[in-house]
Amino acid sequence: MRKRAKLDVKSMPATAANAVDERLQVARPLRGLLNKVFPDHWSFLLGEIALFSFIVLLLTGVFLTLFFDPSMKEVTYNGSYLPLRGVHMSAAYESALNISFDVRGGLIMRQMHHWAALLFMASIVIHMFRIFFTGAFRKPRETNWVIGIVLFILGFLAGFTGYSLPDDGLSGTGLRIAHAIILSIPVIGTWTADALFGGEFPGDGSIIPRAYIAHVLLIPGGLLALIGAHLGLVFKQKHTQWPGPGRTNTNVVGERMFPRYVIKQGGFFAIVFGVIALMAGLLSINPIWLFGPYEAAIVSAASQPDWYVMFLDGSTRLMPPWEVRAFGHTLPPLFWPTVVLPGIMFTLAGAYPFIEARRNKDKTVHNLLQRPRDVPDRTALGAMAITFYMVLAISGGNDVVAETFEISLNAMTWAGRILLLLLPPLAYWAARRVCLGLQQHDREVLAHGVETGIIKRMPDGRFVEIHQPLAAPDEHGHTELEYTGWVVPKKMNRIGALAPAIKGFFYPVEEPAAPAKPLAGSSGKELETSGRQQ
Amino acid sequence: MTSENPAPGRGLRAGLPARFARAVGARANGPAGRGRRRLGTIVRISAALALAGGVYASFAPGMAAAEDTSALTPAAQLGKGLFDTSCTTCHGANAQGVPGRGPSLIGVGAASVEFQVSSGRMPMARQEAQAQRKDPFFNEDQTRQLAQYIQELGGGPEIPQGPLTPTGSKEATAEAVARGGQLFRLNCGSCHTAGTGGGALSSGKFAPAIAPASERQIYAAMLTGPQNMPVFGDNQLTPEQKREVIAYVQTMQAQEPGGWGMGKLGPVTEGLAIFLLGMTALVFTSLWIAGKS
Amino acid sequence: MTATTKEHGVPTTAGPGHEDRTRFETMRDGAREDGIEIVHYEPPFPKTGTPAERRLQTIVAGLFLSTGLLATAFVVIYIVWPWEYDRDSLISNLYTPMLGLTLGLALVCTGFGIMIWGKKLIPHEIAIQERHDGPSSEHDRSVTVATLQYLGDEMGLKRRPLLGLSLLAGLAPVGAAVAAPLIGGMIKDPHKNVEGRDDSALMTTAWNTGIRLAREDSSPVRPEDVSVGGQITVFPDIPGGHTNRYADSPTLLIHLRVEDMDRLRENLYGINEGGIWGNFVAYSKICTHAGCPASLYEQQTNRLLCPCHQSQFLITDNAKPIFGPATRRLPMLPITVDDEGFFVAQSDYKVPVGPGFWERP
Repeated sequence: MRKRAKLDVKSMPATAANAVDERLQVARPLRGLLNKVFPDHWSFLLGEIALFSFIVLLLTGVFLTLFFDPSMKEVTYNGSYLPLRGVHMSAAYESALNISFDVRGGLIMRQMHHWAALLFMASIVIHMFRIFFTGAFRKPRETNWVIGIVLFILGFLAGFTGYSLPDDGLSGTGLRIAHAIILSIPVIGTWTADALFGGEFPGDGSIIPRAYIAHVLLIPGGLLALIGAHLGLVFKQKHTQWPGPGRTNTNVVGERMFPRYVIKQGGFFAIVFGVIALMAGLLSINPIWLFGPYEAAIVSAASQPDWYVMFLDGSTRLMPPWEVRAFGHTLPPLFWPTVVLPGIMFTLAGAYPFIEARRNKDKTVHNLLQRPRDVPDRTALGAMAITFYMVLAISGGNDVVAETFEISLNAMTWAGRILLLLLPPLAYWAARRVCLGLQQHDREVLAHGVETGIIKRMPDGRFVEIHQPLAAPDEHGHTELEYTGWVVPKKMNRIGALAPAIKGFFYPVEEPAAPAKPLAGSSGKELETSGRQQ
Repeated sequence: MTSENPAPGRGLRAGLPARFARAVGARANGPAGRGRRRLGTIVRISAALALAGGVYASFAPGMAAAEDTSALTPAAQLGKGLFDTSCTTCHGANAQGVPGRGPSLIGVGAASVEFQVSSGRMPMARQEAQAQRKDPFFNEDQTRQLAQYIQELGGGPEIPQGPLTPTGSKEATAEAVARGGQLFRLNCGSCHTAGTGGGALSSGKFAPAIAPASERQIYAAMLTGPQNMPVFGDNQLTPEQKREVIAYVQTMQAQEPGGWGMGKLGPVTEGLAIFLLGMTALVFTSLWIAGKS
Repeated sequence: MTATTKEHGVPTTAGPGHEDRTRFETMRDGAREDGIEIVHYEPPFPKTGTPAERRLQTIVAGLFLSTGLLATAFVVIYIVWPWEYDRDSLISNLYTPMLGLTLGLALVCTGFGIMIWGKKLIPHEIAIQERHDGPSSEHDRSVTVATLQYLGDEMGLKRRPLLGLSLLAGLAPVGAAVAAPLIGGMIKDPHKNVEGRDDSALMTTAWNTGIRLAREDSSPVRPEDVSVGGQITVFPDIPGGHTNRYADSPTLLIHLRVEDMDRLRENLYGINEGGIWGNFVAYSKICTHAGCPASLYEQQTNRLLCPCHQSQFLITDNAKPIFGPATRRLPMLPITVDDEGFFVAQSDYKVPVGPGFWERP
């Protein structure tokens, strides 16, 4: 008996695999999956941070729904947090307080959920920068770029609805401003606002339940579907890669998905999760008990939205007081910075791949990335857009900046207004110059070689620095290399002529190699193309 | 304070309260006085000179004894001595104010003096948008003497005797704290923030963080409305309610359950933290993951 | 590249046994069938049992064991640490930080353990996979197009146009029928008159002639309750007047100094005339920009500042916006004092309070 059981156990995987394959014929696709090649570069991991924080959001979010009561019914608080005992509040705020104080481990779940949300949005934005500056959005990946923009918008909405749910002082202030923004839309504004809120602000108590169902069902559903499509497209179209030795537009050079790539991803997931948990335990986020329940007459100074909404708050603060009043109608100043501006920003961002392709009359498929320096115009545009966004985002917190650094609040507003117009063109110009300069230096090294630091005195008394050519002289004695848009070694130790830099943070992780022999001419070519130069 | 309030009627007796209310802060720092800030250096020099003169005067008591000080209590007399050495440059010889420099102190009361002097705001180092809290120039006794002098000179609100926080059983105190919280959020949080960390006002003015203030200072601030802070007279916030607010403010300084509060500055610091800590840590990790092994 | 393959390709030195070797080759040939060429394959430790390998093994094992310890600590803390909120107890306040610390470190340890394993102990490789993108073959495309076109033929829409038209005409209302209850249920007429008033909620507040100004605890306010240079938030003295049901009604009652009031009297314009009482003036607390309470009263500069977008209103000039994005004055609530000496509203606000909207005149 025992022997038989043992045998069974040993052959069980094989039996199971057979059983599955007989029914589903997975052997070949599974092998393809196991062997699928992924290129390896640190910047390809930024999107993963977003994916992993989304998983944390789902896990912690499910926990929170078990205790949260999305109701605006008025109750009297009687929980553990003494300074709010006896205060009238909505059931939503009461249950949010209970999660923080009366559910074991509830506070850390709430804080993990919130930090994960901030990280989700932050990594989406950083990931988007990477895609933009390397040209990864070009044909055939325009669709995925657009999906990414929609994911940002959905994440934005998920964040805002989540921020509104606890119905504390900050939430309510945010909702009140959101209500005013909807009101400012011409013709349909009042109708939309009343439809969403169920009457004049704060309505008949429907906004919190509606925000809740959007936050826990509709928006996450959309996010899940689009994340699936996003990853599916990456899988189908295969990842882009940097140019380099052996890497062409028609292949992928890297590691197979199993085991190395997947192991790295698994480890990275644990680390993302861990960083969120550490922040959630050690850093307080949105201490709702300080803000008290939302009351229409109460506001706290420094009432800000979460960081990804802050650019809208900033644009609203910087907006000059221009109101259009004509024919018995009003177009409030709020309309331009909060409806028109984000509309333009998201449309431009979404349309960018098509705009660029049209401008360059580019219809080819691109699987090789571009270094930012090699496309100065795009890099400069990106720098300009980021600067614009940064000025808005900082202006969104300009009262906190003013208070912390003892600057006049009015001066901050004016500085924001002026810099919003002044800095982006400057950033454009500066980024372009930097790109061209870096490119030029690469070309110089490719043409003349690496500076060796060895100064030679010529017979006529001149001093010259000796350059180490990167390539062996061809039959005409030329050592120039073609510009390929990839890393050019610029230091002698990068091409093995000096002892390599010692690695490790606190102690050397590997023994420094013995100083290399002076470069043999033949090694030049191989060194130049020796792939990743990190 | 109560007795100083005007009866219902058009501006009845409004002159006096108006005077003491405006006297509290440096009114000259409004838009009209902004240009005078440049005179800061001159003011500082003259303050130094006055101080030097004052020191000289204290060694030569006969010189200052020309006025009749017999009406003052001994403490007030000491206070007057201090006043004459340190305050007259801006507030004038008999605290009636110097136009463009310092307001009259007639009627501001001991509470106001105690707030301004014990928090180091007065004497001012220089003319600026708003007096800053710093290490007090006078010690506690001297502050009381100065306050006594100003009180006897023109009257005004005083800080009551006895405890400045609610007393009673633990439960009663907890209820008082909760009531104080509601009052705080309605009346104070809009400027000082719900976390008591302070916030910006227009044109360089600000509502300071409350944490460094003592019970007496918070009480005095509510009572007298220093600088741009509105006055919360005893008819609006009763002494009991003021005590409750103080109790709540003290609760806010207590340890928080959710980890470090990052200055309780709200979403701005949270946004900074997610980029500077979270994103940075993870980008470095990804650099390591993809780096050559 | 091929040169490297020859050098490092199949591990021939000690280590993988005979069977592994064939397995590697099978795997590599399989990959080739999928268009994947493993051009470089190099175990990090061709010789087993070197000190470096043992050290890495120790590190990884140590990380995994620490994970276990920390995770256990997390569970223990979760269960036994005093978690009930007690603001005076440091121990209780450390509950969340301790949970975060143990859970976070446990996860970070796992992460690094797995990663060091994957990075340092598994053979390094460079594989090349061919992409097959670009359009489908001409043949596939033409066949698919033909199939689609035939689909149209099969349906016979061209031959029987009535079918298509009637289908369209029949289905369009179905769409509307689905949308109607979904959207229609939410629609409310924002311009419907409020009960007992001849205007909509957008244009009116809870204030009306003779309604007293009350504190948040519903006690009415007398002039002597507010000191000079003071302000108080007042609500209409009706049931629930201070609650969010009347979110547009909070009002700021301000007691100005004589000279400031004189300036305001000089500046009073049109609809605000007669709205002040003594040295008291009442403005709507709801900002005309985005609806936050514009409640930061600076008693010396006589400004009201809104903390949301920093609009500033000059109290001595009918609450005119003098800075920031707001375009409209804060509406003034006309006030007076009744026979019993309490403040009352003379009427509702003369203009709609709060943020602007399309239908606002």
